[in-house]
Amino acid sequence: MNSGERIKGALAGKILRVDLTTERIWTEATEPYATRTLGGRGTNSLVMLNEIEVETKWDDPANLLCFGVGTLVGTAAPGACRTDISTINVFSGGKGSANVGGSWGAELKYAGFDNIIIRGKAQRPVYLWIQDDRVEIRDAGGLWGRKISETENLLRQELGDELIEIAAIGPAGENRVRGSAIMIDTAKAAGGSGVGCVMGDKKLKAIVVRGHGKIDVFDRPGFMAAVAKANRQCEENREKVLSMRQSGAARFENLDFEGWETCMVIRNGQDDFWERGKRDQLMNPETGVASMRRKVRACVSCPTGCMPYMEKARGKFGEMKGEGFWINAVWSIARFDISDPETAVAFWLTCNELGLDTDYAAAGLAWVFECFERGLIDRNDTDGLELTWGNGEALLAMMHKLVYREGIGDLLADGMVEAAKKIGRGAEYYLTQIKGQPSIEPFRIPKGWALGVCTSPVAGRHLRGATRGPVHSGPPNVDFDITHSRNQAQSVVWQCKTKELEDNLGICNYVGTWSGAHFLKPANFAELVRTAMGLSVTEEELMEHYAVLGRNLEKAFNALHTNLSREDDLPPERFRREAVRKGPYQGATADVEEFNALLDEFYELSGWDMRTGLQTRAGLEKIGLPEVAEKLGAKCLDKKQK
Amino acid sequence: MKGKEKMGHIVRNPALCYGCKNCQLVCSLHLTGSFWPERSSIQVSRNPQTGVVRWTIDQSCDRCRQEEEPLCVRHCSYQALRNITDDNQEEPQDE
Repeated sequence: MNSGERIKGALAGKILRVDLTTERIWTEATEPYATRTLGGRGTNSLVMLNEIEVETKWDDPANLLCFGVGTLVGTAAPGACRTDISTINVFSGGKGSANVGGSWGAELKYAGFDNIIIRGKAQRPVYLWIQDDRVEIRDAGGLWGRKISETENLLRQELGDELIEIAAIGPAGENRVRGSAIMIDTAKAAGGSGVGCVMGDKKLKAIVVRGHGKIDVFDRPGFMAAVAKANRQCEENREKVLSMRQSGAARFENLDFEGWETCMVIRNGQDDFWERGKRDQLMNPETGVASMRRKVRACVSCPTGCMPYMEKARGKFGEMKGEGFWINAVWSIARFDISDPETAVAFWLTCNELGLDTDYAAAGLAWVFECFERGLIDRNDTDGLELTWGNGEALLAMMHKLVYREGIGDLLADGMVEAAKKIGRGAEYYLTQIKGQPSIEPFRIPKGWALGVCTSPVAGRHLRGATRGPVHSGPPNVDFDITHSRNQAQSVVWQCKTKELEDNLGICNYVGTWSGAHFLKPANFAELVRTAMGLSVTEEELMEHYAVLGRNLEKAFNALHTNLSREDDLPPERFRREAVRKGPYQGATADVEEFNALLDEFYELSGWDMRTGLQTRAGLEKIGLPEVAEKLGAKCLDKKQK
Repeated sequence: MKGKEKMGHIVRNPALCYGCKNCQLVCSLHLTGSFWPERSSIQVSRNPQTGVVRWTIDQSCDRCRQEEEPLCVRHCSYQALRNITDDNQEEPQDE
């Protein structure tokens, strides 16, 4: 790695800046940022740390909403389709980030932009229309209130172009429901951190893009050789590829799949074991969810393809059709003890149409169901709805209440933590949340998964280091078991690093180092960076410099903007106190002593102080961030404490 | 009509195509030296509301002369594209 080396390919070249308050639009060069971060999420993190003042809240006009397309997106790099969306996290007040695939990011690059940084707030609903160099803020009065597919259809009509790509919010984001998503290509959600809520707060309905330009890579033959090599790795893993092409959730059609035993949370955390009969009803290949799977689609440049297109012509919810149904759908629906496949699909497609984050809806509303069961709320609070386990109709009705702020939905929309405080009488204990963000994750059985979720700088979520065994998501040559602590911390740190690289380059985690495919490994990332961007980096330099830098930018943002401490990296109290009731892991808890030992190891490997979790001056200087150490002041230690 | 000079054409099997657009990208690389989907012989669009993938190829296709195999065929991870020659006639299908 040569210090000061310039990037010679793969970037579109410009960052688009928009101030919605003043309606000012301007651009700047991407390269000074991407040279430091590689691009994508890293650039978003750097911009946020540099430009958002301490004390800024998520709903202040000064909050930034940052879209960062991965640097390899727009090329034929396998799985290069991802865009990071970063902003102040509506739950934690720290770093927020959500990541999404589809074709929108590639289109933005063909329009000439790698990132969009939005500040300010519009006075009325608007959308952003980007057609190459022409960028306009347009009236969205006719779009406000519309669901996602209606919004997209109206935009295609208005702009007269079928090939536009759209990132939009639905009614959830407009109504500032905290767990709102930004939807891309109708059905791909940037769901976490409340990014859709921030977009709604800025009165920005959509960002519409059409690009006619090109992306050049530095060394064309070398790059295509690296692409071919990566694709061959996919082919060598044919069985896995074919499994993923049935959709990511299809592995749950095998009722003996270990994920059923190690990764489920039932009835809002009352148990982690689900009866075989219910598994079968939901996922039976003939009569379950698969019976509604008509085809599977791929994001741009993806060699695996995992997006099922679901369809049910005359079911209990009328006509249903649309893309979706990920593994999270299984986890979400089991949380309500619902095993009816039609309800599961309806839950997912409804969330998409409303622009509601599925994890938030599942974790938040399952908690409301438990409050009902325990008598903390009753039918007077739910307008007569019986929130009993397995009641799918009640779930769908509650989702509408939440999104349109009807009745108790108004209370819930302002945040489940705040709602729990108001309900009181111990309700907070039953709400599963990490740093304020409701969570569907398992904490008792899969140790590395729990560690990754709890230490995620963006308040929970498993795609920030969670591991489930060496085959699924671990580093090569490291032996660790899903349910034991040994070697978990180093595996989580490895996964944090590879995900950082993936989000900066725009490579999908499914095609990369997660989900057991490992089609692309860090060595492939290095080859692609060298040939596409012209940077002379090694695999080790990617992993030990760029990946570490990105994580530290987010960590520093949290240190500056929140009072999050080591205590906030522990699993929710319920999972520490209550054991799994049934099944092969009966008796398992998130043992706090065992977890603290994992945290010690995790902080040590990350170069952070074990006692406080804070960064050190030497650690930041080592990765070229002395100015961040300065900025942190007292929140950066001169040396690690004993 | 460069494609016809070589007496053949590229066809897609829609049942195998996932709509990843990789064929469009590598085609543009062959024609222009850049990833430039607008200048590709192949145009792919996907409608997530219906699940339909539209795929067209125009007459600017030269079936990658000077290459052993057309790049779109070689780089299709789904084996959805075929290079049809005089010895291997087949009518294109549509979705």
